[in-house]
This record gives sequence, C-alpha cells and structure tokens, in this order.
Amino acid sequence: MDTGSRRKFLVISLGALGALLTGIASYPLFRYLSPRQTGGEKGLVTITRAQVGVGQAHFFQFRGHPAVVLQRAPGVFVAFSAICTHLGCIIRWLPEKGEFLCPCHAGRYAGDGKVLGGPPPKPLQTIPIALSGVNLLIG
Amino acid sequence: MGLGKNIGDFLDARLGIRDILEQNLTRYLLPRNINAWYTLGAVLLTLFAVQIGTGILLLVYYNPTTEEAFRSVQRIMNEVPFGWLIRSVHAVGANIIVFALLLHMLSVLFMGSYKSPREMTWLAGFFLLLLSLGMCLTGYLLPWSQLSFWATTVATKSSAEIPLVGDIVVRFLRGGAMVGQPTLGRFFALHVMGFPLLFGLLVLFHLFCVRRVGISRPPFGPDWRPAPPPTTFRHEEHPRGIPFFPHYVAKDAAIIAFFLALLLGVVFFAPALFFPPAAFEPADPFVTPPGIKPEWYFLWAYQTLKIFPSEFLGLAVQGIAVTLLLILPFLDRSPERRPASRPLFVTCFAAGVALFIALSIWGHYS
Repeated sequence: MDTGSRRKFLVISLGALGALLTGIASYPLFRYLSPRQTGGEKGLVTITRAQVGVGQAHFFQFRGHPAVVLQRAPGVFVAFSAICTHLGCIIRWLPEKGEFLCPCHAGRYAGDGKVLGGPPPKPLQTIPIALSGVNLLIG
Repeated sequence: MGLGKNIGDFLDARLGIRDILEQNLTRYLLPRNINAWYTLGAVLLTLFAVQIGTGILLLVYYNPTTEEAFRSVQRIMNEVPFGWLIRSVHAVGANIIVFALLLHMLSVLFMGSYKSPREMTWLAGFFLLLLSLGMCLTGYLLPWSQLSFWATTVATKSSAEIPLVGDIVVRFLRGGAMVGQPTLGRFFALHVMGFPLLFGLLVLFHLFCVRRVGISRPPFGPDWRPAPPPTTFRHEEHPRGIPFFPHYVAKDAAIIAFFLALLLGVVFFAPALFFPPAAFEPADPFVTPPGIKPEWYFLWAYQTLKIFPSEFLGLAVQGIAVTLLLILPFLDRSPERRPASRPLFVTCFAAGVALFIALSIWGHYS
C-alpha cells in the first residue's frame, strides 16, 4: 500500500470515527433540548359557565396555546384558538363591537371566528366545546 | 473535494489562511524530546470547552432562585432526557479539570518551565488556576442542596478571620449576614458570566505568552545546558524539532481521549463519587448536616485551618503558601532547570506534594 492510499485510508477512517462520535453525542443533545410533552397537551380543559358572562370572552391556556371561550347568546358557547391566523399575535375581544381584533395588523374576526377584515387569510381555529352541568368541557 | 478546495482557495486569497495554518501547524516546530506532560494544556482547553458546552445546556433548565434552584436541578437529573448526563459531565468535569490543572502546574514546576523568560506565562497560568477554583466554589452553591449551602457557609465564614475587615468581607461575599438569595444571585452571576469572561481573556493571554516566547525545551538529555536569562526578547525556536501537526496533535489527541475516558468512566461507573448524601437534600438554613466537608481540592485548606490554634494563623499560612507559589519565578532565578541538578527544589517539590496529599487525607478522615 503506497503512502497516498494509506493517508486516504487514515483520513476516511478518522472522518468516519468523528462522524460516529458526533452522532452519538448529538442524540442526547437533541433529546435534552427537545420540547417536552406535558400532560395538559391532550386533556380537556374545564371552565365553569359562570366564568363567561353573556357577550363576554374568557381567555385560557389550551394544550399549551392561548384560547378563548365566548358566550355569544345565553347558553350559546363557542371556543377558538386565540392565535391570529395572519402572523400569530393574540387576538382581543371587543365586547362593545362584538368582534375580535388582532392588535398587530388590525385583523378583525366575528364572534363565530370568521374574518371580517384586515389581513388574516382564514377564520380562527375552532375548538370543540360541550356543556356538562355548570361546566364547559373544552377540547 | 472540489468544494472544499474552492472554499480553501477563496479564504486563502482573502485572508492568507493557508499561510497561517502552516505557520501554526506543520511549520510550528516543537522540541524533539517533548513529552506527554506538555499535552495538559490542550487537555485543559478541551475540558473547559466541555464545561462551557454543558454549562450553557444546564442554563436552559436551571433556575437561580432559592425556591426553585434545587427543584430545577432535580428536574434536570430526573425528568429532562439525558439531563443527568449533562449535569454529571459538568460536575465531574470540574473535578477532572482541577486534577489536570494540578498536574499541569506540577509538571511545569518539576521541569522549571516557569523560569525566565516565562514568568508571565506562569503568572497567567496561576491566576487561571485561582479563577478555576473560584468557578468551582461558586458553582458548588448553585444546586442549593444542603451540601452547597453549608459548604458555602463555611467557606465564606473562614474570611471572617481576616483582621479588621473580616466581617465586612464575609457580608460582602454573601450579600448579607447569612447565605441566601443574594449569595445565590452573585455566585450565579460570577459563575456563568464574570469568571468565565475573565477566564477566557486570561486563557488568550496565556496562549499568547506560550506562542510568543516559544515552547520550553524539556530539561532532559545529555546536551541540555542552562541558558542565561535573556536581556532582550527572543522567540525560542526548535529548528530540528517535530511539527506540531500531525506529530504532536496525535499525542494531544491520545491524552485528551484518556482524560475524556476518565471523565466518562466516573460519570457512568462511579456517578456518586463526588455527590455525598447531603447533595441530595434541599438546603435548610436551620439544620446543619453532620460531617460536612469541602471538595477534595479544598481539603488541604480545610485541614490547615483546623490544625492551627487560630483560624487567622491558618489563613495566613495558606496566603503565604499561595503567594510564594505565585511569585516563585521571581524568587528562583537560577537558569538551571534539570531536576537532577536542583536537589533542594526537588526535595521541596516532593515535600509539598506529600504535604498536600497528607493534609487532604487527614482532612477527609478527620
């Protein structure tokens, strides 16, 4: 075996060993920094009906994201993700106008989540909601 | 291959990168009789890089408040995937670094490499050792365990024996009368930012000194002769030496691999070696656990304080010992570096090492 091919063999062997060690070290690093699953990311969220007045909105955390539940008419509840579909800002409820406003770029949504105006490309994401006695089961 | 060459050509045309690499790698010649002890600098650089990497990762989950610190460390150890590995490597790595630092210092002492014209390299290295011990001390408090709390209480309390300003020093170190949130806050800031910044600058200066003056030739072999101290600057060259790359880099890599194996060996096979039971209990300012001891590298100081009739005397002896070591290049001015021709120094060296070990063992079992 001449010097050139021995050198090439050595370089390839060291490169392979380096890649292997980097791979072995990278896995724990990736796992260490990976977002952790929290128990709340799958379950239902319970809110009492009394927390949401008629024509009022109540903001809460749903599976790690901001969400809002709204009592549009007596006994009629709807829940949405509170994240604007435009660029991800958090919407706010304007009770006097009966609509949601995104303060970042003036996106407007109706009480049913549909886009009324501004840049949002699609309606707010709805979240299933069920009544259970005095509670609202969301999710 | 083609892409790599193109990138190399691009950088070379603009920054003369190949010339820099050649000057510092293949055309950087080291003494032919250079030995494995000279690799400890590279070992330490690697170990410090590991500490910085794992330290940054620990910051992701660590919370420096007295309410949350212990819980956050427990979470890292028990819940975060591979958190135990990151934290163990960081904690054990600190001990391995102190071990390597001591070996580095002892080898420099034994071979007389601290002598003229390398006094500045020695001073920078000695301050690096002190800063490393400072980082160990400040890092020790951060888990906010019983061990952390009481070790820091005792360590800061020992400053109270300094005449006139002792109590002020203690209050200043703690940020209050007792170890608490102010202590944790300042130790955290020093550990993750203050000391590492100073440390980085000092490492650069240390390396600059090593490179500027040139590597000292080991004082062994029949043709070694003491050279008179230089009156003007001269870079020590080794014209018939071995190239740094690949010859010495291979040796560096082998010893670095050995130290990394030692580090991982402790992490995997003796994980509790540096964690006594008090390290697993949250700090309780009202309950002092029995038999609290400092880390092994502070045991000599701990025992010195105990054997002298007054703590002030113990502190003074420690201060004198550290100062003498610091200014050694200015006291020991003979150009002779061969150990066989320095019987008095070698005797003091051996006695010093034996005393350090004996005091440490005594401190451990006392």
